[in-house]
Amino acid sequence: MNLSIQLAPKNKQGLSLTNPVMTASGTFGYGTEYSHMFDIQKLGAMVCKGTSLEPREGNPQPRLAETACGLLNSIGLQNIGVEALIKEKAPIWAGWRLPVIVNIVGETIDDYARLAGELDGVAGIGGIEVNIGCPNIKAGGAEFGAKPGSAAEVTAAVKAATSLPVLVKLTPNTSDIAEVAMAVAEAKADAISLINTLKGIAIDIARRRPLLGSITGGLSGPAIKPVALYMVYEVAGAVELPIIGCGGIATASDALEFIMAGASAIQVGTANLTNPRAPLDVLEGIEQFMGKEGIEDIAELIGAARG
Amino acid sequence: MRQEIASVTANTELMPQVHLMWLESPQIASIAQPGHFVMVRCGEGLEYQLRRPFSIHQVDKTKVKLALLFTVVGKGTHWLSQCRVGDNIDLLGPLGNGYSIHPGSQNLLLVAGGIGIAPLVFLAQQALSQGQSVTLLLGTSTATQLYPEHLLPSEVKLIIATEDGTAGKKGLITDLLPDFTGWADQIFACGPTSMYQTIVAQNQQKSKPVQISLEVRMGCGLGVCYGCTVKTKSGLRQVCKDGPIFDLGDILWGELDL
Repeated sequence: MNLSIQLAPKNKQGLSLTNPVMTASGTFGYGTEYSHMFDIQKLGAMVCKGTSLEPREGNPQPRLAETACGLLNSIGLQNIGVEALIKEKAPIWAGWRLPVIVNIVGETIDDYARLAGELDGVAGIGGIEVNIGCPNIKAGGAEFGAKPGSAAEVTAAVKAATSLPVLVKLTPNTSDIAEVAMAVAEAKADAISLINTLKGIAIDIARRRPLLGSITGGLSGPAIKPVALYMVYEVAGAVELPIIGCGGIATASDALEFIMAGASAIQVGTANLTNPRAPLDVLEGIEQFMGKEGIEDIAELIGAARG
Repeated sequence: MRQEIASVTANTELMPQVHLMWLESPQIASIAQPGHFVMVRCGEGLEYQLRRPFSIHQVDKTKVKLALLFTVVGKGTHWLSQCRVGDNIDLLGPLGNGYSIHPGSQNLLLVAGGIGIAPLVFLAQQALSQGQSVTLLLGTSTATQLYPEHLLPSEVKLIIATEDGTAGKKGLITDLLPDFTGWADQIFACGPTSMYQTIVAQNQQKSKPVQISLEVRMGCGLGVCYGCTVKTKSGLRQVCKDGPIFDLGDILWGELDL
């Protein structure tokens, strides 16, 4: 049975995964936190916590609110910064079999380019995932990924600064995600991952104010799965690039839905918080499904639900 | 830290809306320390996106079972309260950094506000087994919410306050604190944020080290999601990983709006 996939076929170095199951940024830390619980190296790839040029403190409490089948978060991208990541985390990853992809976040296009440059050639780093769901401070706080133009600019700047495979993670908070995907593809992204969280609010009725310290948050979990699946389906019809599906995946059947909608790989996110073994469960479930259905190669399933 | 499927061996409503649950959880019970907590997976299926954190209330003498003491406040704790003997519950633990009894401390003053009694019984048991003296100040809103005295080790000196005066001294437990501070070598508190802020305001506490158990909304319990970060005098700290026990003086209360 072959589950391996290539996520960056046009990149010199490539991004080869032994299977399509990845962990989503922000829900799996730096991998080291879970590595004693199960053999995380059985997974296809790991995406680490969103990383900025300088360490970030993140948002005020409360940062989390559970909603119906979902989770609102406003962590605010608290992270150790790229310098500490290269010094403290990358050497650990260099000894791992699975590729580690660093999710990068910036407030300006130059931030992204500098981050990509710093990570280029660092042992232990197999690729970059560009989070374009961050507010573009120069453009008044709208997300980079909200418009095709700014999404393409960030992508091109990152590509110019690194030879690493570049995944661009799209935000659903846009009016036409296929258009953004096409712009990102045009700017030579190696692959596209989607979706990031959907913007949302919860209100504490006893205190008559928003529940989260920073008012708005990003919604994730099973509540967003149909939306994410739709967007993957849309984007898979619009671009030729490998797609990594993400959004509410908790089980193997969820993952298979994304793969059949056109994703080459998937990311397990919020489910990790309740069940740290969720990615492994998903992988084992995919293998069982393939065995039962007599499928030899995962490629047979990619886009299988498309007309 | 282990993930363990624990079997419920007892579940009783000890006080109104407060349950005492015993679980057979040898892997976690055998290494748990006072102040540690467990993350409990509540519910089946995909409805609940987060585990719920609970202090470890007690560990039995054989270190095979552990107890949780919890108030039913929402759907997760409601689900847990409905579990029956023999049901299996998925736990992650023991988690966090526990209370730390300094070498040389002989007189330990424990201050519990309401359900804050939960981790302090475990601490009292450990301290007594090491030959230390324990005084427990226990405050609740009313007499029916008081933890039953017969479940406490008999060597514990118990002082009670209730807000409505139905048992013990009428008022807040912190009203009684100054009377005992001089006796104590160390103070260990668990209760609502308002209780901690009162302790901070009582200037005389400055001379005695106070450890508190901090409660914020947690996501993973392992330091992965950064959902529970608070600012302290020594920088950003994750309550789940660096806490939940902190020195009272380390917390920047002005920054904390829970």
